[in-house]
Amino acid sequence: MSVHDFWTPFSAGPFVNSLLIGLTLGAIWLLAALGLTIIYGTMGVINMAHGEFIMVGAYFTFMMQSMAGIPWLLCLPLAFIGVAILGWIVERLLIRYLYHRPLDTLLATWGVSLILVQGVRLIFGGEPQYVEVQPAALRESASIAFVHIPWLRIFILGATLALAAGTWAILYKTVYGVRVRAVMQNKEMAASFGINAQNVYGMTFAYGAGLAGVAGAMFGGLKTVFPDMGLGYIVEAFLVVVTGGGHLFGSIYSSAILGELNSVFSYFTNTTFARFVLFVLIVVFLRFFPQGLFPEAKARR
Amino acid sequence: MNRTGGNLYHNSTAQWLAYIALFGLLAIIPVVGAEPFQLRTFAGYAVFAMLAVSVSMVWGFGGILSLGQGIPYGLAAYCMGATMQMQFQTPDEPIPSFMLTNELEELPGVWKPFWHTHIGLILALGVPTLIMTVFGILMFQARLAGAFVAIMTLAMLNAFYSMAQDLQPFTAGFNGISPPNAFKAFGVEVDPYSPMMYWLALGVLAVVTFASKYMLQSKFGTIVQASRDDAERVRFLGYSVAYYQVVVFVFGGLIASLAGIVWVMIQQYVSPTALETPFSIYMVVWAAVGGRHSLFGAIVAAIVLNYLQTELADISETWQKAWLLILGGIFVAVVLLLPRGLAGAFEYLIGWIPFGGRSAKPAARPEAG
Amino acid sequence: MGIILELKDLTKAYDTYTVVDHLNLQVNEGELRCLIGPNGAGKTTTMDLITGRQKTTGGQVIFDGRNITGLKEHMIVRRGIGRKFQVPAVFKDLTVRENLEVAFNRNPDPFANMLMMFRRTDKARFDEIVDLIGLGERLGERAGYLSHGETQWLEIGMVLTQNPRLLLMDEPTAGMTEQETHKTSQIFNRLRGSHTLVVVEHDMTFVREIADVISVLHMGKLLAQGTMAEVENDPKVREVYLGAEGISDAT
Repeated sequence: MSVHDFWTPFSAGPFVNSLLIGLTLGAIWLLAALGLTIIYGTMGVINMAHGEFIMVGAYFTFMMQSMAGIPWLLCLPLAFIGVAILGWIVERLLIRYLYHRPLDTLLATWGVSLILVQGVRLIFGGEPQYVEVQPAALRESASIAFVHIPWLRIFILGATLALAAGTWAILYKTVYGVRVRAVMQNKEMAASFGINAQNVYGMTFAYGAGLAGVAGAMFGGLKTVFPDMGLGYIVEAFLVVVTGGGHLFGSIYSSAILGELNSVFSYFTNTTFARFVLFVLIVVFLRFFPQGLFPEAKARR
Repeated sequence: MNRTGGNLYHNSTAQWLAYIALFGLLAIIPVVGAEPFQLRTFAGYAVFAMLAVSVSMVWGFGGILSLGQGIPYGLAAYCMGATMQMQFQTPDEPIPSFMLTNELEELPGVWKPFWHTHIGLILALGVPTLIMTVFGILMFQARLAGAFVAIMTLAMLNAFYSMAQDLQPFTAGFNGISPPNAFKAFGVEVDPYSPMMYWLALGVLAVVTFASKYMLQSKFGTIVQASRDDAERVRFLGYSVAYYQVVVFVFGGLIASLAGIVWVMIQQYVSPTALETPFSIYMVVWAAVGGRHSLFGAIVAAIVLNYLQTELADISETWQKAWLLILGGIFVAVVLLLPRGLAGAFEYLIGWIPFGGRSAKPAARPEAG
Repeated sequence: MGIILELKDLTKAYDTYTVVDHLNLQVNEGELRCLIGPNGAGKTTTMDLITGRQKTTGGQVIFDGRNITGLKEHMIVRRGIGRKFQVPAVFKDLTVRENLEVAFNRNPDPFANMLMMFRRTDKARFDEIVDLIGLGERLGERAGYLSHGETQWLEIGMVLTQNPRLLLMDEPTAGMTEQETHKTSQIFNRLRGSHTLVVVEHDMTFVREIADVISVLHMGKLLAQGTMAEVENDPKVREVYLGAEGISDAT
C-alpha cells in the first residue's frame, strides 16, 4: 500500500453495500454493548471484564461443540446461561463490595479480565480455535446485485434486534423489570418498598453477563476464538454505551450511528484509519455532550 | 513538613534518605557484577519505574485515572525510533528499508526532520507534550472526571494504536521500526548492554522522581492534591482547577515520553505494542500495587513485579502464563483490600513506631447535644 | 458605604418550575445580611447563581458596580466574593495548616506556585486568621480529624484568607452545639464592618445575634425585608413560616 492509495473514489454500488455492512457492524457493537448498557445503566458499574465475558462465551461454545457435539444454535442459549452464572459469581465475590467506588470497580474488573484471559490461555493455549457456525447455510454470503453480506452477519443483526427487544420487554413489561427500574431510580426508596436491591443487582449483572456470553457465541463464528479477543470489543462497547447516554435506546441509536460512520469512513479510507477518525470524533463529541446522545433526566436525590 | 506529627513515614528527611538509599542501591548493581544481558533488562526496569511514577503523579496525586499513559510513551518511542533509524541512513541511502518495501520512492516529509538528532529528540518530547496538552484541555475544561476520563484516554490510546499499525509506510506497521545501530550521542554509541546505559536510565529515573517530589512538596503540589479531594472547593478559592489538571496531566505525559525515549535506546526497536491497551493498564497496576500515593512505592512495585515476571518466565512457559493470572489476582486484592497499596500498608505499620510529636488521633470532642 | 451587591430580576427557571423568580435584592457594604426562608425558597440557589455555580436563566448579578453574571467560579472568587458551603468543604487528607496554605492565593498561576513555598510575608495574616477561628492548637492535624464545629471554622478561615469583600455563608451553624454557635456569632461580629456578610440560616437565635438586616425569601421571591423586629411582626412572614406563630420560635 502506498501513500497515494489512501482515498477511494466514490461509486454507488459499493457505497450502498458498505452502508448495509455498517448496519451489521452496528449490530455487532450493539450486541457487545447490550449487557454493558444494562449493567452500567442500572448499577453504574463499569465492567472492564465485559470483553472477557464475550470471550468466555466464545470458548464455552467451542467447548460444547468440540466436546459434546452440541449444535451451534443450541450453544447460544447455553452460552447465555454459562456466562450468566460466571457473572453472578463475580458479582457476589467482588462487585458488591465496590458499589460506592466506581473507579475501583473499573480497576478491579480489569483484574478479573486479566485473570480470565490468562486462565483461558493456561487451559486452552494461545492458538486460535474455531467455532463452526451451523447450519452450513449461515456460513455463506448473501449476494444480490452489488450487495454482498455474509449471512452470519445478517443473522447477528436479527438476533441483536431480538435480544434488544427482549431486554426492553423484560425491563418494561415484567415485575422484575419494574424492580430493576425502581432500584435504578432510587435505591433507598426501592428498598423501603421491600425490594431487595442486592438481589436485583446480582440478577442484573448476571443478565448482562449472559448477554455477553451469547454475543461471544455468535462472534466466535465471525473470525476465530483466541484469548485476547475481548480486547477488540470492550472499547467499542464502552463508547457505544457512553455516547448513547447509558440506557437501552441510547445504545441502540449510538451503535447504529457509530457503525455507519465507521463503515463510511472505511469506505473512503481504510479500516484502521477510520477507527482513528471515529474515536477522535467521539472524544470531541463527549467533551461537548458528556451526557451522551440521550441524557437521562435524573431525579434529584 | 511534618504531617501528622507522629508518623515517621511522613517525615520529610526520612523520605529523602529513603530515596537516596534506593537509588544508591540500584546504582551499584553494575559494580557488584551483573552480566551485560541482565544490565539491559534492569535498564528496562528503570523505564517501567518511570511509567509507574508518571501514573502515580497523575492518578495518585492528581486524581486523574489515565489508562492511556502509553500515548505519550508510544509517540515519543516512535520519534526516537525515527531518530535512531535516520542516524543509520546516509545521504546515498536516505530511505529506510521498510519504506522501500512499501514502495516509497522518497523519504516522506514527516520523516525529514529526523535527519537531525537534536531535532528528533526535541520532537520526541514535544510532539507527545503537544498532543497531551490539547487532549488535556479538551477533557478538563469540560470538567470531565473519573471514569469518563479513563475511558476517553483508553479510546485515544486505541486510536493511536490503530494509526501506528495502519500507517505502514510511515511507521512500518505491525513489524515496527528496528534501527540497526545503537543510539549515537555526540558521536559516541551508547551500548544498550553497558553499565553506561543502565546508569543513564537510572539517572533519568532519578531526575524524574526528584522533580516530581519537588513539585509535590511545593504549593503547586498541595493545590493539585486538594483538587483531587474537592475540585469545587479549590475552584472556590480562586484557582482554575482545569489549568492545574492540564499541567499535571502534561507533566505525567512528559515523564512517560522520557520513558519512551530511553526504552527505544535500550531495545533498538519500536512497534505498535508500545501503544497496546494491556501495557498501559499494567502501568496502573504497578502504581496501584506499590501505592499510588507514593512515588517510592510505584518505583519499587514496577521493578519487583517486572523482575518476578522475567524470572518466572525463565522457569517455564506455564509459569509465565500463571504469573499474569496471579498478577490479576493481586491487582483485584489490592483494589479491594489495600487501596493505598503496599506503601499504604507500610505507612500504617511505621505509624506504630513511636516518633516525635503526638500520634495522630481524631479529635475527641463531645458530640453536639 | 454604598451598595456592594445587587440582584436584578435574578431568575433560575426550569421547564416545570421556577426556583428563583425575578429576585431583586440590594446589600450595603459592611452589612451583615441574613437570608432566611422555608426549605425550597431558593436561598442556596441564589448563592449558587451569585457565585457562578449555576447558570442564570434571567436577570443580573452586579457586584461592586460590575456585572458578574455568567463568569466562571474562580473568576468571581478573584473579584472578591468568598463562599462557605452548607456541607463543610475542607480538604480532609491535608493538614489544617495545608488547608489554609491552599487558601492563600497570592498568585493562582500553577507555574508560579511550583516555585513557591509558603512565603513568610503572609505569616501575619495567617496568624491573624488562625487566632480568629481559634485553631492554633490543631495546625498539624489532618483536617479529616477535626470535629464538626472546627471543620466549619476552618472553612470560614480558608474563605477569609482571600480577604473577600463579600462573604456568602450557607448555614454556617448547621450541626453545631450551642457553644459553637455562640463562638461563630462572635467571629461574625468581628468581621462585620470590614467585610460584608450574607448568611443563609435557619437558627433564629443565631440570626438574632448577628443580623443587621433580614431578607425573607419565599418561592424564589423576596417576601419581606427589615430588622428582626420588623420581620418578626410581618403578617406575610407569619403566614408563610409557621402559621400564626411566625418566626420567633423557629430554630
